[in-house]
Amino acid sequence: MTEITLVEAVNQALAYEMEANPDVIVMGEDVAKDGGVFRATVGLVDKFGPERVLDTPLAESMIAGLAIGMAARGLKPVAEFQFMGFIYPAIDQIINHAARLRNRTRGRLSCPVVFRTPFGAGIHAPEHHSESTEAMFAHTPGLRVVIPSSPARAYGLLLASIRDPDPVVFLEPSRLYRFAKQEVANDGKALPLDVCFTLRMGDDVTLVTWGAMVKETLAAASALHDQGISAEVIDVATIKPLDMDTILASLEKTGRCVIVHEAPLTCGVGAEIAAQVVEKALFSLKAPPERVTGFDTIVPYAKLEKYYIPSEKRIIEAVHRIMEFT
Amino acid sequence: MKIFYLPDLGEGLAEAEVREWYVKEGDMVKVDQPLVSMETAKAVVDVPSPYAGKIVQLHGKANAIIKTGAPFITFETDEVPSHINAPRDQVPDKGSVVGKLETSEKKWDDGNVIIGAPKAKSIAVKAMPAARVLANQLNVDLSLVKPTGPQGLITPDDVKQLINQQSHSTQLPGQTEALHGVRRAMAQVMALSHREVVPVTIIEDADITELPPKSDISVRLIKAIVAATKEEPSLNAWFDGKSLERKLFNEVHLGLAVDTAEGLFVPVIKNAESHSEQELRQIIDDYKKSVSTRSVSPTDLQGATISLSNFGMIAGRYATPIIVPPAVAILGCGRSREVAIPRQGQIIIGRIMPLSLTFDHRAVTGGEATHFLGSVIRHLLERK
Repeated sequence: MTEITLVEAVNQALAYEMEANPDVIVMGEDVAKDGGVFRATVGLVDKFGPERVLDTPLAESMIAGLAIGMAARGLKPVAEFQFMGFIYPAIDQIINHAARLRNRTRGRLSCPVVFRTPFGAGIHAPEHHSESTEAMFAHTPGLRVVIPSSPARAYGLLLASIRDPDPVVFLEPSRLYRFAKQEVANDGKALPLDVCFTLRMGDDVTLVTWGAMVKETLAAASALHDQGISAEVIDVATIKPLDMDTILASLEKTGRCVIVHEAPLTCGVGAEIAAQVVEKALFSLKAPPERVTGFDTIVPYAKLEKYYIPSEKRIIEAVHRIMEFT
Repeated sequence: MKIFYLPDLGEGLAEAEVREWYVKEGDMVKVDQPLVSMETAKAVVDVPSPYAGKIVQLHGKANAIIKTGAPFITFETDEVPSHINAPRDQVPDKGSVVGKLETSEKKWDDGNVIIGAPKAKSIAVKAMPAARVLANQLNVDLSLVKPTGPQGLITPDDVKQLINQQSHSTQLPGQTEALHGVRRAMAQVMALSHREVVPVTIIEDADITELPPKSDISVRLIKAIVAATKEEPSLNAWFDGKSLERKLFNEVHLGLAVDTAEGLFVPVIKNAESHSEQELRQIIDDYKKSVSTRSVSPTDLQGATISLSNFGMIAGRYATPIIVPPAVAILGCGRSREVAIPRQGQIIIGRIMPLSLTFDHRAVTGGEATHFLGSVIRHLLERK
């Protein structure tokens, strides 16, 4: 096993599946010769040739449309968008076609495409390179939205997403791309989709999060442990469909819940989780659910980024607030 | 000589086309002076000069395609080249053409990741939010409450039910007897006093060696108390702990504790200050009689402004008498006895009477109370 970063894990999963399945195609702006804007696809064109690793024009709608056409005809395209802020021209294709192909054809066609894009703030980039609009996709019926938070989960979940017969929006936290390394076996083993990962067990409060915020949330849980508060940390990983069973099982135990996401507060995925928590676990709750999120603003430029991203401190303060309910 | 290599003019652009040179070879240029207009796949941009100095060579005419990282302009300058001015293959790959990625040598420690929920789980108490609030207010442990709601849910009524059970929880064995009348009233009044009053008891021995034998101690004590209240009126008072108000009295209505088999009676000698010693003795005897025959009227049992408990007739030296609110003081008189008393270098056999004064420290200061007790003892020994 070698130690690799999250972006290297993405590369490794792509290479493994392209090797294993000749139908897998990688496409996007500068993914071939340049190896991708974050180097996620570096070296693939040398291994698999320009017919399977396609540099596309600067036209996201076309990238999505092309990928959907390929998928409908039996290929397994993995399309990269350079940043989440660049995916919007492709939304018509993704919502109107990719998400509906199976339903529209009464199951005759499916759309096994993966739309990959880096997302989230914290890399000092311009503002339309920093957003977290996962809720837009989670809100769309027919799409699966998967977000890894570690090299191992990036590898296992991307493999699962490529092998899934339906469209997946695969969001990669760019802040974590090269943040840390982890031993990942390149054994082609996929991780399950549609299920949360419990990263840390605890009894007093359940911290629910995903993507880059897993980093701050784990740090907060560790600090809380030193204060005598035992926090369970759940990485949701697939935010659509939501694995509420895992979250509710944890709440049965802790009775307290803090949802942490980088995306803005209003209509974020945290709102959906909070609603279901109240609907299904109200009588187990010892305190109202709390959300610690980004603000309802455009992500600010580099100087203010760290104030936008929920901090370890904000998470700890939220936990302290709900620990007052005994 | 410095060679300026064409930088990436966009986000991961491989090349750019020269549209128009603004300078020619041999020109002197300043830093940030526009040198050339370049067209990329994304936009037309002006390239500012990175150096001050003389243009030696332009590597390409108008409409020439220049690769990103290829030699672009040669300068004659003394400036140190910046880090960006290196051939592309010598620039370390930052992992992105936009922004800065955090990198670290940190190991990603996932620990024991559990897919889904941990298997072992404790079953939490399920309670309606209102039941939780109520339990919190009443300091009830929800795990002790028996749920009767749907799906094992604790309702607010379940919480109240537990409280009711707890308040009747002391199960007495065998036949029990309900308290009635005076005994019941005593239980209630004493509990009230214990809840509300902040009592302090000070004790002192009164040396009564010099008192004539057969003195009427009870009457003398009453007279002494009356006299002491003139000096220290704050002990002859009523106090309201809720409104934090007090009322001092000029007259002394003295409650006299009388013990009976039925319970404790405290008949009140109204306006004790206005009676002579003989009258006081008469009132005391009348009260003892009416209490023992249960003919004492309810109005005789109300309105004490200060009390006296002469418990020493039976046994007991010192005590911590209990104040009956709203009064703020009670004097207890224990059994008097002979003791060895040092006097002028000699030991004499004298007689002392132990006194215990309880005062409500919410309404009376320690100084006032000790002063009062001292005053009682002084007046007790006064010769007429």
